[in-house]
Amino acid sequence: MLKKYYSEMKSGLETAYQQKPRAWIKMNIHLASMMTEAFRNDAKVIWTSYYSFPMELLAAFDVAPFDFEIAANLLPMFDADGAVEVMNRAEEAGYSTDVCSFHRLAAGCCSLGYMPEADLLLSSSYFCDGKAKVNRSLADYYGKESISLDVPNKISKESVDYVAGQLRRIAGKLEEVTGQKFDIERLRECIRVSNRARRAYAQLAELQKLSPYPYIGIPVVNMSIFSNMLAGREIQEQIYLEMVEESRRKTMEGSLVRERYRVLWLAWFPPQPTNINQIFRKNGVTVVMGELARNYCGDMDESLPFESLALWSLKNPYVGSIEQRLKGINEMIEGYNVDGVIHFSTDACRHSCAAQKLIGDAIQKRGIPYLVLDGDMSDKRKYSPDRTQLLLENFIEVMAGRK
Amino acid sequence: MKVANKKIGYFCSMVPVEIIMAAGFKPVRVRGRAEMTASADAHLYPNLCPYIKSVFTDALEGGDTACDGLVFARSCDGMRRLYDAWKAYIPATFSYMLEAPKNVDKLAVTYFASQLRDFAAQLGKVSGTEVTGPALKKAIGAANKTRSKMRDLYSLQKASLLPVKGSELFSVGLQVMYGEDSDTAAGISSVNKKAVASSKPGKEKKKIRIMICGNVMDRPDIFHIIEDAGAEVPIADLCTASRYFERSVDERGGDLFLALAEAYLGEPRCSRTAAPPEIYARISDNVKRYAIDGVLLTSLKFCDQQLYDIPYLLKKLNGDDTPVLFVENDYVFADRDRVRTRVEAFLETLES
Repeated sequence: MLKKYYSEMKSGLETAYQQKPRAWIKMNIHLASMMTEAFRNDAKVIWTSYYSFPMELLAAFDVAPFDFEIAANLLPMFDADGAVEVMNRAEEAGYSTDVCSFHRLAAGCCSLGYMPEADLLLSSSYFCDGKAKVNRSLADYYGKESISLDVPNKISKESVDYVAGQLRRIAGKLEEVTGQKFDIERLRECIRVSNRARRAYAQLAELQKLSPYPYIGIPVVNMSIFSNMLAGREIQEQIYLEMVEESRRKTMEGSLVRERYRVLWLAWFPPQPTNINQIFRKNGVTVVMGELARNYCGDMDESLPFESLALWSLKNPYVGSIEQRLKGINEMIEGYNVDGVIHFSTDACRHSCAAQKLIGDAIQKRGIPYLVLDGDMSDKRKYSPDRTQLLLENFIEVMAGRK
Repeated sequence: MKVANKKIGYFCSMVPVEIIMAAGFKPVRVRGRAEMTASADAHLYPNLCPYIKSVFTDALEGGDTACDGLVFARSCDGMRRLYDAWKAYIPATFSYMLEAPKNVDKLAVTYFASQLRDFAAQLGKVSGTEVTGPALKKAIGAANKTRSKMRDLYSLQKASLLPVKGSELFSVGLQVMYGEDSDTAAGISSVNKKAVASSKPGKEKKKIRIMICGNVMDRPDIFHIIEDAGAEVPIADLCTASRYFERSVDERGGDLFLALAEAYLGEPRCSRTAAPPEIYARISDNVKRYAIDGVLLTSLKFCDQQLYDIPYLLKKLNGDDTPVLFVENDYVFADRDRVRTRVEAFLETLES
């Protein structure tokens, strides 16, 4: 089922790209390609977290990285009712409806045989408890090994050594699973490539500060979740540079839509169909940036590849105390001149939602309106369009009152 | 700072009480007393662990969580956020986040040992008493002794006629964790006496034996529900029951921090670090050792660490014909009547 979806998605996007060559479409073609690749019979499939695992390490091997969360969550984009049926399968097997719909979907997809078989399952201890747990359960289901990259809260010499040591072990495990020899020079090259891509992305992030903002904000939020799948691959830099070029061109042409309210988006944007975009368009609201789209890591030191990747993990805004996350949010509020901050609160997302008050207090101290928009990422049973409309329209009124 | 009788509270079994003792403090496991958690809901998030919300409500409302310092552990996403919120909203003299690894290999042990050294150093600064090797050795010896006594009591529960009620043993274990020393000694002694008395040939009819498996539990409601229905609980594999006392730290080693790290990351592990097959293997083993008739799996609501293991455990236990019931709980058992109905129905199926 997913294989079919991704093949159709890929060919549809390729047609669209021929008609309208845009970098965003190209990024999505690569997403679909990476997913499709995992269904190839001879592929060495490594299940992982595109958004939290240092993908440069996987780029140093010839493997097909597959993220079960992102893969399964294509379903509600196209068929929200079908996705509920898949979740029902997981719930019947004992998954509580209090756990994340992303994971119920993934577990349901597995039981229906929609997923490609894993050769190795890699996850990280952050982003979130649930994903690491599902990875472990599904490893047992496939009879394969699961390894979680344990990333502590504190940045210290000991924690860098600890994470770097785990990454070295994972490299060894990848050698074993793929039969390929690990080449440290290839990893260094992946890090060089990743550094270039990050610099290109920094240009795009800088352009987003313009008003009207030049790129499409919600895709930037979404990109922050899945574009790391290409880290360590040349194509990532190319796509970012094309996005920069498109943004500059639009700015020069003066073809940008005038914006009334600039919003910073926290946490994730739901893949299931919602009325959020429609409400934003109607009211001139633009999402200029996403919390996770912040460029939080500078260049990595290729001479110490494992330690650099460890540091990249440790600096993630979702690792560490809330101060690490708040620092990033505050930087973005200042840099992007936002009128309001919206925190999408998906029902079961403990690691993001449990800090809502702390975040809200910090934002309101700056006099910026803050909205907790509750809903669900993928489960239509837990998403109310009417409630969303009410909350967003009230919030827009608050922002208008401050203009 | 004079620390005699000063208490350091901790929330998770991953926190070595030995280090707290060696620094001259009394370790006290923090329990939640609040049944209505509106204050915590407003500061944290409603869909969060009810244990976390209960203890945080106590603290926000000035209740009796009062310790002279608190140690949090990187147990789960919820506990990390509790630490953040506590620092922000409740002035505390000392709070510390212990980096407890989620992996259990040699790398993790080495890292954990380094964090335990840091923890000891920070506690030493607060108490003004450096945590020395002899003090730590003495504390390890004392904690080992208490755990050993509790293990002995649990071991007696393997008898076909249960020497003491499961609820009684559970309460004694809680007294140990709450640092209620006089009650603990009296409790252990009383349970021991009953065990000796009951070792005479049995007069009672054998009852249905239920094992409770889950995470944190500070109230005996579910034990009482089972016992009131005429069944018994020889063993409870909980963070706050038999699992906690299984651990023993090697006192002979040169590096005591390494010994603590090995013991606290070692078996038996909870759902945080153990893969579901490991937990299933332990349940199966206990089912045999304690002649269990049925397993009651329970989990705090919204506990991702535990809830994600439930489908696997249900499938495996059902697969080997071990009767099993899964019941979520809200820590305070506000819905005890609902739980009672389900448990009684389960016991009826076992009787039949």
